[in-house]
Amino acid sequence: MSATEVPHTGMVRCEHCLQEIAQNSAVSSVIDGQQHSFCCHGCLGVYELVHSHSLDAFYSQRCDWKPGRPAFAKADAADFADQVSSNGRTSRIDVALAGIRCASCVWLVEKVIGRLNGVVSARVNYATRRAWIEWQPAFIPLDEILKALSDIGYTPRPGTQAASVEISADEKRDLLLRFGTAGFFSMQLMLFTAALYAGFFQGMESRYRLTFQLISWALATPVIFYAGFPFIANAIRSMKGGGLNMDVLVALGSISAYSYSIARIFTDGEVFFDSAAMIVTFILLGRFIEAGSRLKAGRALVALTELQPGEAMLIGETGEATLVPLERIRTGELIEVIPGDRVPLDGTVVEGMADVDESMLTGESAPVLKTSGNQVYAGTSSLTGHLRIRVSGDARSTMLSKIVRTVEEAQARKAPIQGIADKTAGLFVPATLLLAAATFAWWIIAKAAPVTAVMNAVSVLVIACPCALGLATPLAILVGTTAVGKKGILVKGGDIFESISQTTTVVLDKTGTLTIGKPSIVDCIDYGVSDRFIQHCASLETWSEHPAGKAIAASWKGARLDVEAFRTIPGMGVSGLIGGEAWHAGTSALLEREGIQIDPECRRQAKQLENEGKTTVFVSCSGRIAGLIGLIDDLRDNALEMIASLREQGLKLMILSGDNEGVAQYIANKCGITEVKSGLTPIGKADEIRKLKAKGETVMMAGDGINDAPALTEADTGLTLGTATGIALESAGVAILNNDLRLIGTLFGHSRKCFSIIRQNLAWAFGYNMIAIPLAVSGLLHPIVSALLMASSSLVVVGNSLRLRKY
Amino acid sequence: MESTFYLIGIGFVFGVAGWLLFLWAVRSGQFDDPEAPKYRMLDDDDEQQHPDKSGKHE
Repeated sequence: MSATEVPHTGMVRCEHCLQEIAQNSAVSSVIDGQQHSFCCHGCLGVYELVHSHSLDAFYSQRCDWKPGRPAFAKADAADFADQVSSNGRTSRIDVALAGIRCASCVWLVEKVIGRLNGVVSARVNYATRRAWIEWQPAFIPLDEILKALSDIGYTPRPGTQAASVEISADEKRDLLLRFGTAGFFSMQLMLFTAALYAGFFQGMESRYRLTFQLISWALATPVIFYAGFPFIANAIRSMKGGGLNMDVLVALGSISAYSYSIARIFTDGEVFFDSAAMIVTFILLGRFIEAGSRLKAGRALVALTELQPGEAMLIGETGEATLVPLERIRTGELIEVIPGDRVPLDGTVVEGMADVDESMLTGESAPVLKTSGNQVYAGTSSLTGHLRIRVSGDARSTMLSKIVRTVEEAQARKAPIQGIADKTAGLFVPATLLLAAATFAWWIIAKAAPVTAVMNAVSVLVIACPCALGLATPLAILVGTTAVGKKGILVKGGDIFESISQTTTVVLDKTGTLTIGKPSIVDCIDYGVSDRFIQHCASLETWSEHPAGKAIAASWKGARLDVEAFRTIPGMGVSGLIGGEAWHAGTSALLEREGIQIDPECRRQAKQLENEGKTTVFVSCSGRIAGLIGLIDDLRDNALEMIASLREQGLKLMILSGDNEGVAQYIANKCGITEVKSGLTPIGKADEIRKLKAKGETVMMAGDGINDAPALTEADTGLTLGTATGIALESAGVAILNNDLRLIGTLFGHSRKCFSIIRQNLAWAFGYNMIAIPLAVSGLLHPIVSALLMASSSLVVVGNSLRLRKY
Repeated sequence: MESTFYLIGIGFVFGVAGWLLFLWAVRSGQFDDPEAPKYRMLDDDDEQQHPDKSGKHE
């Protein structure tokens, strides 16, 4: 450790990154009998890993390591080597990018990289800020692609999920700094601006006026050039790439108002530093809110991949078990899963028997019995028994990682909905630029002084300053989101209101969305063999891991009876002794195995329950059948009301379920929905959505499970409930936090209203421009009139947006 | 009327002080995690409740 010097008293150095930290905040760990200190668990983890691989030489050999927490920001092709997959002719890489700020950045990267000679395709995922690039190594080395990325201002980072979250966190902090700075200076600026406006009407001594104007200039400068730097940098970058986006409009508007005002100070006119500063401040606020939700989305994806255990119990040829990291397990090797654990990799069961909870993949609430020869999937969990599994593929080829990939690819493929504001900006920028150029030409031709020509051309740009235009959409969305937020609906972005208001078909997931997601008792047939039948059943099932067992246990609130010799028979049920009597609860197979007679009347009743889609539990006491319990995952409260209100609004309804047909049909009949597809895989659900979209429908998908995540992403609008899994919450654009399904109907009404207010706002903003621009072109526009026009146009937009609050 | 200029100066100092405080807050990570602090008060092993330092009885 050559860089280590003796730290100050009370301070220690992190042994991994050499950062100096206070002794009492250090993370300590004893490794091989020696005490070691670290600045954080991350460094400790790295140290342990390095140590466990006997690579301690790393610590003694490094010499130019400067103290500081690890950052993984180098764009060296060697760093990315392990992420490249190749099929001989082409290679593919999946890489995280720093610096993606907006939808236009996505477009820019895709265009610039896609045009490189030898690159087959380039796609960027806006949510995770990762790029998928496919290229032919024979024509272009990876180094050049990475260099091209940094050349246009995007730093490639090795594409681990954690790295992409880290980028978002950095950017969010950066945005907060810029927004806060812009806010503080703009507030100060407004004070002086108000004084200047008052001075215009009342008269003002010129030395005060000049002082105030100069102060305004000083206050506006950091807002434009520090806070507004990302807009200027992006605008230049995007103009170099040949595209025009909202950033160009913002940069153009603020810089032209700023420089126009400077010129006005010296020609004794009115200044507009406030317009320049306010537009930057407002748009930064919008970006800041957006960065926060993207950061959350990234973290949820990380959380999902963590469902898969990082290590597995490997069974060696001699039968000994060792815990090894997943990467070291090869296809064809044998691993063991104990009850309560998640399956680490896909494979085939070769030994053992267990009820496996596959609800995360299928949505089916009932566990599936797995025995020799059955396929099991990574991420599902064994509830009741030990399993030995022959691994059929590595960590990247599991069903779970396929779902994650499908979600990410669907996000990347789905162009960020080009919102109505962006669309108009695309048309507006060139039109304004042309108009300004024409104004300049007109005045030159009219033989005016070049200064007048320039001033008139710039005043066109100032007037077209997107103050109201920039506020029109974000403000309506902000007010709209807050209003629904108070009712318990979380809306994650503005585009969502646009897509909801255009929805034609609503697709509903069954388990967990229409239904509660857990079975509950709907039938209880007691043959009177024992008194207190349900108390016995509940006591027996107290320790059961099976959802049906848990539901029975939960149905009895009173005292429990003592159960001795409790046993779980995988795939069948449970047994135990209560008060000396042998009780069994489970499938008919369990009772038959125990030699218990099931009379025809009981069989008939059980058959009837099963036909209704119910799970039937047979209960026996001392060798005699004691009763039947029928359970079903029943409809949520309000589900019927919600369906009625959606029908009223003329929406088509459909159910997609991963569950078996009987149960799906039972629920569909109860709701009166005729279009039902059951037994679908997670990717199958997404395919159904794609088919609907191909038919020209605008689709809203409502679902809550991991198995719904690809479909939620694929749909125009994804809607989920507050109790949903992390990935579903983040794949969906809307979450109903209190699970009240009736709010879906409310949401539709609100979205239509919000979207129509956005359109009105845009119309207002354009209307003002229509009046003011011709005046500016003709050079007739009095500065104070233009300031009033701009302020009132912003006020109208603000006032109009606030109407949404009362909804 | 000279006082106007002094007042502007004083107002500016306050504004800049607020801004610097904000810069410090962001840089030292005060805004990084808005979720965790509300749970922190539920932590039992909180050293701040040391009776010698509370100063309530003195």
